[in-house]
Amino acid sequence: MLLPRDATLLRIFIGESDRYEGHPLYEAIVLKAREVHMAGATVLRGPMSFGRSSRLHSAKILRLSDDLPIVVEIVDSQQQIDQFLPILEPMIGSGLVTVEKVQVVRYGDAPGA
Amino acid sequence: MAYLWVAIGGALGSMARYGMSGFIAALTGSTFPYGTLVVNVTGAMLIGFLATLSGPESRYFIPASGRIFMMTGVCGGYTTFSTFSLESANLMRDGEWTAALANIGFSVILCLVAIWIGHIGALVLNRVRGA
Repeated sequence: MLLPRDATLLRIFIGESDRYEGHPLYEAIVLKAREVHMAGATVLRGPMSFGRSSRLHSAKILRLSDDLPIVVEIVDSQQQIDQFLPILEPMIGSGLVTVEKVQVVRYGDAPGA
Repeated sequence: MAYLWVAIGGALGSMARYGMSGFIAALTGSTFPYGTLVVNVTGAMLIGFLATLSGPESRYFIPASGRIFMMTGVCGGYTTFSTFSLESANLMRDGEWTAALANIGFSVILCLVAIWIGHIGALVLNRVRGA
């Protein structure tokens, strides 16, 4: 699988307690991305966040640490991302989804795209 | 039977703590552990009140099961020294030494003051009934 040099980064901001069909949502997104042959996906866990509800999430306070932020990043061609977005839509209940243009410098073993 | 009272009281106290600390956290919107401070101080006030109210000098007779339920169970579940320690350590880890020392200092001092206020409250209640 190859990635074009001019690619697209899809970012999905969710919480670690978000679920989809009984599984953690971030896990479901990564497995779905793999199933539809996306170029790759990475899950990042953050120490602090707030979103639309303004509710604070923080690893520092035990009571606020039950839904820490998760960011899923997927880089692929614009066409692949466009095809993946409708698949993603019903999976996400509450969250933030962003798309931005990125330059691929290296993908896998091969230098350059 | 004592274990049952502790279990029921502990469950109620823990749920109350979860609700109270969540409410305080939402109210303050801060990463200083106000929620834990409030539950520990209010819990200290409650146990100070109950200790005097169920003491040998009190006009009220509170059975051993009631003391176990309220003091060991409810107060034990409601207050949390472990969370206080963890959150103080988290502040220290992040280099927020002033906040960490303030948390430790205020927690200890305010809890002792709260015990005294609870004690005075129970003494007043004893006098009201005896008058």
